[in-house]
Amino acid sequence: MSAADLLNLLIAALLLAGVYAAMSVGMTIIYGVMKIVNLAHAGFLMLGAYFVYELYTHLGIDPLLGVLFAFPVFFFLGMAVHRILVRRIPTSDQPTLTSLLLLFGLWLVLQNLGYVVWGNSDRAILTPRTLDVLQVGRISFPTVRLVVFGAALVALASLEFVLHKTWFGRAVRALMQNNDAGRIVGVNVDRTARVAFGVGIAFAGAAGGLLAMLYSFSPDFGGPFLLRAFVIIVLGGLESFAGVAIGSLILALVETFSILVLPANYQPAIAFSLLVVALVVLPRGVAGLWNKRHDCA
Amino acid sequence: MKAAGKSGVSGFAPAAMPYLLLAVLIVLPFFGPGPNTVRLLFVTFVWVTVSIAWNILGGFGGQVSFGFAVFYGLGAYTAALAVNSGLHTVLALLLAAGVAALASLAIGLPTFRLRGPYFAIATIGVSEAVRVVMTNVSMTGGASGYRILETRPFHQLDHFYIALGLAVLAVAASAGIRRSSFGLALIAIRENEDAASDLGVNAFRAKLLAHACAAALTGAAGGVYAQYAAFIHPQGVFAFSIGVAILLMPIIGGVGTIWGPVIGGVVYGLIHEELVASFPQLHLLIYGSLLILIVLFEPAGLFGLLDRWFRVLAGARRIRAANP
Repeated sequence: MSAADLLNLLIAALLLAGVYAAMSVGMTIIYGVMKIVNLAHAGFLMLGAYFVYELYTHLGIDPLLGVLFAFPVFFFLGMAVHRILVRRIPTSDQPTLTSLLLLFGLWLVLQNLGYVVWGNSDRAILTPRTLDVLQVGRISFPTVRLVVFGAALVALASLEFVLHKTWFGRAVRALMQNNDAGRIVGVNVDRTARVAFGVGIAFAGAAGGLLAMLYSFSPDFGGPFLLRAFVIIVLGGLESFAGVAIGSLILALVETFSILVLPANYQPAIAFSLLVVALVVLPRGVAGLWNKRHDCA
Repeated sequence: MKAAGKSGVSGFAPAAMPYLLLAVLIVLPFFGPGPNTVRLLFVTFVWVTVSIAWNILGGFGGQVSFGFAVFYGLGAYTAALAVNSGLHTVLALLLAAGVAALASLAIGLPTFRLRGPYFAIATIGVSEAVRVVMTNVSMTGGASGYRILETRPFHQLDHFYIALGLAVLAVAASAGIRRSSFGLALIAIRENEDAASDLGVNAFRAKLLAHACAAALTGAAGGVYAQYAAFIHPQGVFAFSIGVAILLMPIIGGVGTIWGPVIGGVVYGLIHEELVASFPQLHLLIYGSLLILIVLFEPAGLFGLLDRWFRVLAGARRIRAANP
C-alpha cells in the first residue's frame, strides 16, 4: 500500500469522525444532564434524515439549509417529548431501566410511524455535489463529505460556545458534574433538563440530516448509528465532550482501517464488538486509562 | 400475591385453572380445528416459552436483555443441523438448548460485569454482532438461509404437542425457580444487588445460571420453530426484532410474575399473527405505544392491570355483602 492510499484512508477516517461526533454529542448531553440512555436517538436521526429529504424534494431547499432548519424544529420536538414523556419518570443519578425502556418504546413508535408514512423503500438525497470529488495531487476529497464535515464542525463549535459562554451552558455543565450541587447553587434542574433534552434531540435531527447526505436511508436508518453513537460516548467516558471527539476518531479509524484486515461483509460487526469490548474493558472511557491512578489516590 | 390472600387474580382464578387450560389444549385437536388454528396455537406456544424464559432473567433477576434472538437463532440453527444429520427430534432440541446455554455463558461472563442499562446495551451489541457473523457463515448457507431436508411426512399435530410440552415445561421451570432459594436470590439481586451480595448471594453466579436457564428454554423454542418452519435464515431468527419481541412480551404481560409472561406471549402471538400479514409495521407501533404506556402508568403490565380490576371487583362485592 502506498503512502497516498494510507493518507486517503486517514482523511476518510477523519471526515467520518466529524459526522460521528455530531451524531453522538446529543446523546452525551442527555446522558450527562439526566443520566438517560436515549435509545430514541435512532428514531430522531431517522426523522432528521426524512425532514431534510422532504424539504429537498418538495421545496427544493438545499440539504445544508435543511440541516440548519432541523435545529429549531427538533429542539422544540425534543422539549415536547421531555414535557410529555421523560419528565414523568423518576430521576436518578444512575441510568435506570425505566428510562431505557421508555425511550426504547419511543424509538419503536418513531421507527414504525416512519414505515407507515414513508414505506420501507430506501431513499437517498442526490444533489449535484453528491458525486463530486476534489482532487489534490493523488489525494481525493469527496466534496459532500467535506461539506458535511464542515457543517458538523460548525455545529460542534457553536455547542462548545453555548456550553462555555452562556448561563444555560454553565448550568448544563454543573448538572453533569453533580446534580444535587447544581440544585443547591440555584440551577433550575427541570428547566435545564428540558432545554438540554431539546438540544440533544436538535443535534440528533441535524446529524440525521447530515448522514442522509452520505448514505441512503429507510425508517430503519438509525439503529446501526445509535450503536455507533453509544460506542463513541462509552469510549469517551460517557459525559465528556472532548471524549466524544476522541471516541469518534477511534471508531472512525478502526472502521476505516479494518477494511485492510477484515472482509467487508464483517464490517458492521466491528462497531458492535467494539461496543461490548469498550463497555467491559473501559467502563470509564479511554480517559479512564490515565485517570485511574489519580482516582485511586 | 400470597400475602394478599384470596383477592386479586388469585381470588378469581382457582388453583386448578392452569390444569384445566392444559387439559383443554391437549384434547382440542380431537375436535378438528383447522390447520390455521393449530398453527396459531403452535406459534403462540413458542412465543409463550421464550417470554417465560426472558422473564427468568429479566423479570426475576432484573437483568434486561435485548439479545435473546442470539439464543433463539442458535437454537434454531442447531436443531436444523442436528435433524439434517439424522438426530431424533427430542435429542435435537436438547442439543439446541445446550448450545444456547453454552452461548449464554460466553456472553454472560464478560457482560454481567456490567450493571443494569449497560448490560442491556451490551446485549444489543452482542446480538447484532452475532447476526452479522451468522449472515456470513457459509456452512449454514449464510444470508440465503438453511433448509431442513424433509425425510418424514409432515404431521402438524406432532409439532403442536412438542410446542405445548415445551411451554408447559417453561411454566413449570418458572414456577419452580420462583419458589426456590435461587429464585429468591434473583429477586434480591433485582431489588438491590449490593445488598443481596452482602447477604451472601453470589450475584454473578446467580445471574449466569438464570441466563443459562433462560437461554436453554429460548434455544429449545428456536429449535421447535425451526423444525416446524423447515427453513430458517439469519435475518429471520437472529433479527433484532426477535430480540425486541422476546423482551416486549413479558414486560407487556407483567414482568416478574409467573402468568404475566404467559399472558404477554398469548397476546403477542395472537395480535402478531393477525396483524403481521396485513400491516407488517403496525404491530410494532402498537407494541411501542403499549411499552410507553406500561412504563409510565402500569409497570406490572397487563397482569397487574387485571389484578387491579379484580381487586376492585372483589372490594365492591365485599362492600355489597357487608351492606345488604
